[in-house]
Amino acid sequence: MTTDTGEATMRTETPAARAGDEPPGASRSERLSALAQQHGALVTLVIAVIVASLGFDTFLTGDNLKNMALSSAFLAVVALGMTFVVVTGGIDLSVGSLFALGGVLAAWGSQYGTAVALLLPLAVCGLVGLLNGLLIARSGLAPFIVTLAAMLGARGVLLALTDEGSRTYLVDKDTFFAGLGQDSLLGVGVPVWITLVLFVLGAVVLRRTRFGQYVYAVGGNEDAAALMGAPVARTKVAVYTLSALCAGLAGALNAAWLLSGVTILGSGMELEAISAVVIGGTLLTGGFGFISGSLVGVALLKVIQNVINQIGSLDSAYQQVVSGAFLAVVVVAQTWLGRRRRVL
Amino acid sequence: MKPTAPLRRACARTLLAAGLATSLALMTGCAKSEDDSGGDRGASQGKDAGQVVASPSGGTGPSCAIDAYGGEKRDLKSATVGFSQSEKEANPFRIAETASIKAEAQQRGVKLLTANAQSQFSKQISDVQDLIAKGADLLVIAPLNSDGWEPVLRAASAKHIPIVTVDRKINAAACKDYVSFIGSDFVEQGRRAADRMIGATGGKGEIAVLLGAAGNNVTTERTKGFEDRIKEKAPGLKIVFRQTTEFSREKGQSVTENLIQSRPGIKGIYAENDEMGLGAVNALKSAGKKPGAVKIVTIDGTRNAVQGIVDGWISGVIESNPRFGPLAFQTLDSFARGEKVAQDIVIQDSSYTKDNAESDLGKAY
Repeated sequence: MTTDTGEATMRTETPAARAGDEPPGASRSERLSALAQQHGALVTLVIAVIVASLGFDTFLTGDNLKNMALSSAFLAVVALGMTFVVVTGGIDLSVGSLFALGGVLAAWGSQYGTAVALLLPLAVCGLVGLLNGLLIARSGLAPFIVTLAAMLGARGVLLALTDEGSRTYLVDKDTFFAGLGQDSLLGVGVPVWITLVLFVLGAVVLRRTRFGQYVYAVGGNEDAAALMGAPVARTKVAVYTLSALCAGLAGALNAAWLLSGVTILGSGMELEAISAVVIGGTLLTGGFGFISGSLVGVALLKVIQNVINQIGSLDSAYQQVVSGAFLAVVVVAQTWLGRRRRVL
Repeated sequence: MKPTAPLRRACARTLLAAGLATSLALMTGCAKSEDDSGGDRGASQGKDAGQVVASPSGGTGPSCAIDAYGGEKRDLKSATVGFSQSEKEANPFRIAETASIKAEAQQRGVKLLTANAQSQFSKQISDVQDLIAKGADLLVIAPLNSDGWEPVLRAASAKHIPIVTVDRKINAAACKDYVSFIGSDFVEQGRRAADRMIGATGGKGEIAVLLGAAGNNVTTERTKGFEDRIKEKAPGLKIVFRQTTEFSREKGQSVTENLIQSRPGIKGIYAENDEMGLGAVNALKSAGKKPGAVKIVTIDGTRNAVQGIVDGWISGVIESNPRFGPLAFQTLDSFARGEKVAQDIVIQDSSYTKDNAESDLGKAY
């Protein structure tokens, strides 16, 4: 359905006007606003960290920070892929199920070596993402419904592979694959390094490549993007595939960390990833967003969770209230900061 | 286009989108909670309600002492205990379990840190790590899943933190990765439920099984005990329907609604916990069935289920005692002082039938 016939290479700069990418000729206030949008989340994170470390002397300890970094690395990788999808104005609800499926496939595949443990989940999840993308781009179906179907379907495949979830495949501790989750480099877990590298790559791709400009263009105004010759359908297929690949990889790394393909993971993870992306300053309506913001968003969610555990005596009901309230405050603060900076 | 107009819109959109995300986050939390019409359950611990070890005086099973596990002897009174609960305190079992742990900690004057994983396994892993980072010297864990504990076990063993798991097992080496497991004999619970089902149905007909959540030993063992006993004692009873409803009342209800559509002749339903059984009762009620038309046997012993026996909807409830506090702290205390403790501490569960449901309603939680 979508018009992507005009795929003539674009020699001119694509409309990255709202990309926060300091495009030449952008007005000063625009740049400031983009900066504030991005740093609003960061400032909020810094404030949250300061408050938490003043309130709890066990917050700013090496162990605690390392734990937080490691256990949020997996969500961060999922949020990375999600950022691309959200910038195109889409949404991907399948990532939680794909995360779990990737973990199970990796744990099963690990008996045949590291290559299988990594490539199998990537292949399967990538295929699901490709299907998502094709259905959304070529058939014009709503991303919400398509990826919801994929979420249910992937969970079903997982249950079929594991006797209704009752069989857990284990990862041998002494394999290279297990090392990807278990080992540390300079005192920091390998998954954290992998995540950081992926984020740098992701930021470069989104900001500095033609594909990245297409992503912004499609999210900004699909028709305009098509008229200007951006390959709309191909871009959409690519972002959903990328998101699914990220989810599968995160699942595989998580399996290496837990040394098992835990079957009950990932439910609700898609919402966490979307929250992180949005907190990071990316617009759900598309066309505007930052890779680094999503990392900050993940960190904020983690800090909230950690602070609740630092309090250490809340009932589960109040934990949810506190967590929801905290999230609301964070988002309001971040938006307020964004607006204030723009006024200045 | 002027640059400011889309920007303002962009800003408003962020706010909107963010608000949406927040409410989504809140919603997922709220959607799972459920009404709890019980009174002072859990908090009130009757004298006869505490757990009793099935095989007293140490038993013959393997034991564990602190020299073998590593770490130093200490007085529990000056220690900090971390408790990681798996599911939110929205069903009676979890309410009673958490309340019992808290009450015992208070009674012993031990500092207690608690965390709740809200049924998210990733969260439980970081919860326990948080508890360790926060300074927990000993841990009581109610595991959501039996596998996937490597990061926690590594962190705990590096600091020689003794771990006692309650109600579900961790698949790891006892006395090396963790000290003891305290819980019921779930296979035996399944067998006893089967006996009750055979008695209620007369040993003939088609029955259904509502399975618990996947990936933990409770579900597998309650299923195994039940199915083996049925096969062995009542070959006339055919299990024609088997589906997971994840220990939840809502799912138990919707699956049972489908069940009575597709298998109107079903004679009995075995629900692997009370909540699913109560969901089944709701489904039968709304389908216009009479109490006792379909025999329901459940496991747990919550007040609502035992009331269900009194009302005639449920044929039998096998108890699974959630009041782990006294036994868990006693185990940690003995272990920390250097005494031997059993690796598997199996508790004795009673049961409820028509004969004792009314008189023992007060013992239910």
